[in-house]
Formats: sequence, C-alpha cells, structure tokens
Amino acid sequence: MFFHGFMQRAFEASILISLIAPILGLFLILRRQSLMADTLSHVSLAGVALGLLVGINPTWTNILVVVVIAVVLEYLRVVYRTYSEISIAILMSVGMALALVLMGLNEGGATLSMNQFLFGSIVTISKEQVWMLLVLTIIIGGLYFIFRKPMYILTFDEETAFTAGLPIKTMSILFNVLTGITIAVIMPIVGALLVSAIIVLPAAISMRLSKSFNGVILIGIVIALIGMLSGLVASYDLGTPPGATITLILITIFAITTIGKILFRVLNLGRLFKKKSA
Amino acid sequence: MHYIEVKNLAFRYEDEPVLENISFEVDAGDFVMLTGENGAAKTTLLRNILGLLKPSKGSVRISPTNRNGEKLAVGYVSQQISAFNAGFPSTVMELVQSGRYQRGKWFKRLDKEDKEHVRRSLESVGMWNMRHKKIGELSGGQKQRISLARVFATDPDLFVLDEPTTGMDVHSRDEFYKLLKHNSSEHGKGILMVTHDHEEIRNHADKHIELVRKEDSPWRCFSMDSCKELSKPQSSFH
Repeated sequence: MFFHGFMQRAFEASILISLIAPILGLFLILRRQSLMADTLSHVSLAGVALGLLVGINPTWTNILVVVVIAVVLEYLRVVYRTYSEISIAILMSVGMALALVLMGLNEGGATLSMNQFLFGSIVTISKEQVWMLLVLTIIIGGLYFIFRKPMYILTFDEETAFTAGLPIKTMSILFNVLTGITIAVIMPIVGALLVSAIIVLPAAISMRLSKSFNGVILIGIVIALIGMLSGLVASYDLGTPPGATITLILITIFAITTIGKILFRVLNLGRLFKKKSA
Repeated sequence: MHYIEVKNLAFRYEDEPVLENISFEVDAGDFVMLTGENGAAKTTLLRNILGLLKPSKGSVRISPTNRNGEKLAVGYVSQQISAFNAGFPSTVMELVQSGRYQRGKWFKRLDKEDKEHVRRSLESVGMWNMRHKKIGELSGGQKQRISLARVFATDPDLFVLDEPTTGMDVHSRDEFYKLLKHNSSEHGKGILMVTHDHEEIRNHADKHIELVRKEDSPWRCFSMDSCKELSKPQSSFH
C-alpha cells in the first residue's frame, strides 16, 4: 500500500492534518465554537458547488466562500453573544441551501464530485493539495508559536484579554478565517460531514489527559497521528470512507480514555504513583 | 495624574437610562471604593470605564501611560472571573504566569524577575502549594484567590476590581485590603473597587463613591451621591 503514490500523499496529508487539528480544535472547544467547524464545512459545500458550476478549481471558490462566512460568523457571534448558537444555525442552513441550489443549477455532472467532498476520498489527494496543506501547517504552527500567549488569554476570558490591550476582534476574525481555510483544504480528504469531528476530537480527548495547555496540544497531536494513520490504513484495507473510519477510531480512543479515567479514579490508582514519587 | 477620568457619564440600555451624571477621577495612589445597592449598575459603570460598554453620553479617559511615562497596565478582576470553565486546561501556575504577559512578555520568555512576581503573588493569596493543580479542580474560593494572584502578578498600575472578596472570610478580606492599601500608598497604584463591605474597607480606602437611585426618574436609574474623601493617611504619592 505504501508504494502507491496516492497513499504516500494520503499519509503526508494525514501527518500534516494531525499537526494542526489539535491546535485549532482546542481553541474551538475553549471558545465554545466546536460547532463552528461543522458550520464552515456545510458552507464549504456551497463553495465547492459554486466552483463546479462556474468551472473553477472548487478548492479556491471554497476558500473564498469559507473566509467570507468565517468573518460573518464572528459578526453574528458578537451580535448574538448570549445565544451564539443562533449564528451557527443560521449559517449552517444557508450553506446547505446554497449548496443544494447551486448543485441543482449545475444540471447533473457535479454529483460524483460532490460525493467526494461529502464523504472524502484518499484516492483524489493531489500533490497540489499536499503542498497547500504544508503551507497551511507552517502558517498555523508559526502563528501558534508566536501568538500562543495572547490566544491563551483570549480563550481564558475575552474581557481580561480586552483590558490587557489585546485586539480581540482582529484575533477572533483571524482565527475564524484560518479555521475556515483549513476546513476548505482538508475537506476533500476527510469529507465535509466529518471534518469537524477530526478537528475537534483529538483536542477533546487530550483535554481529559493533560493538566496544562501545551500538554493538551502535544498529547492531541499524538492522538491525532494515531487516529489519522491507523484510520487511513483501515480505510485502505476495508475500502471504507477515510473520514468515517478515522472518526470511529478517534471515538474509540475517546471511549477508552474515558473508561480508563473512571477506573483510575474508582480504583484510586493515583496513590500508587504518589508512593513511587515520594 | 488621573489614571481614570470620568466626565458626566450616562449610559442607557436601549432607551432605558441606567446611569446619569457620573463624574470622578482615580489618580495614581488613590484607593477608591464604589458602592451601591444591589442592581445599582456598579458593574455597568466599571464596564463603561474599561471600554467594554460604550457610554451614551459623556466621556471616559484612561491614561495611556503611568506616572513613569510607561504604558499603563490595567488589572481587571470581573465578578464572574472565578466562574471560569472547569475544563480549561491550565495549571494554577500557568494562569498566574499569564498575568506577566501584558508586562511586555507577549512574545518573550518569562525571566527570573517575572517568576519571582508569580511566586510572591501566589504566596500572598496562600496558593503557592496548589500551583501544580489544574484550575478546574479548585473550589470557588480558591479560584477567586488565583484570579487575584493573577492580577497581583501583572503588577498593574491600575486595579479595577469588581467585588473581589466574595467568598472570603473576614480575616482574608482584611489581609487583602491591607495588601491593596500597601499597593496604593507605597507603590502609587490606582485602585477602583466595587464592594459591599462598606465598614470593613473604610479604614483602608481614600475615597468613597456611592451610586444612589435617582428619585425624580421613572426608570431604575442611578447617579453619584458624591465622591467623599475618607481618612487619608500619609503616603508618598499625595
């Protein structure tokens, strides 16, 4: 399987996705925007449908549409501060409705491509996509390294961040835009329906395992690598959709860690480690 | 030097007036307490001052620089700050260290002096031994104390505190007020604090602003009674 060019590209893409997903996922969870990834993935379908309709590479139209919606999302989040899920409900419906209408206007021909975007495909990963992902990983990794302290305060408490003099609006918009671009780039690989799970799950699992902020991201990367790579192999062997396979493996890891933590607490295993360290 | 200058401030929620005719200053070295009955829009006033809400009339000016001409650092503890997300993945140490970031350390490593500030801040609220705990594992009172430790670690020029002693016992409150008084009188920090502990704090604060309900308004609108000077001990900043 490793001799196939498409599988090599799939592995390269998976490793890169594993590096960025826990960073974005952690901030999405802490900003209570886990569903934003879902909204943006639905909206990206409209971007793909637009690209297929006008005959432009759908990834570019996708990025354009998602960036615009990411900015609108931030505006709606501030307007409906108390009920921020309203913005998600509105834009998710808009995205789906637009995608369906644009697909209808295309009069067939786009159905096969849309299926790839809905469920993901490892066969179709191009060199161009891997390069885009590499550039995105470098940008996100660099931005995290530079802005991790301001982002820590922003996610801890927006008012504290504001009084500390941080440009919270610009930071929020930039974060949304980056999340949108990431979703647009990785959606053809893992599928629109499950892209948010792949972004959010590694961070959700690692949050239960680490006490510290950086620890969550590091453990999240390890979990994402395990989930993505084993999911890819399983997907190839079983002929199942990659996004769904990876998601199921991550859910299994989530269940195992949850049960493990319960057992750890019930059996009071923590005292064994305390004795050792004493 | 006025760290805060509020001139004829008014604030409305939609069409309903909430605050009117508010004017006062907080100077470097001032310890000002802000009181008023429940629902007297004390928090709303603080949020107007900090720029989190926009006044419908009048002006608020926060000095851009401190008395040494450096960028003014504001330390804010809101009423809800201690109700932070239990799942937030951070140790007590990480959170209190984050107080140092706005001291020019957004993009730099914390040095020995920063770490010393953090240690002293945690010790001042009795939380040094809990520094490796996850913040979500703390009780409400402990969360309150680390929120204060974070502000002390910032070593701000201006403290804006919204009922910071909720959940503290009498002894802890007294220690906390003494610490604030020391910061204002010996280090020239400006302090604006919303509180209900009128009597306990009178011995420490320099000024008292009380928000009172306007009798002539059909709305639940509050205005300033006055800005009373309290007993003012000698300090190097007055």
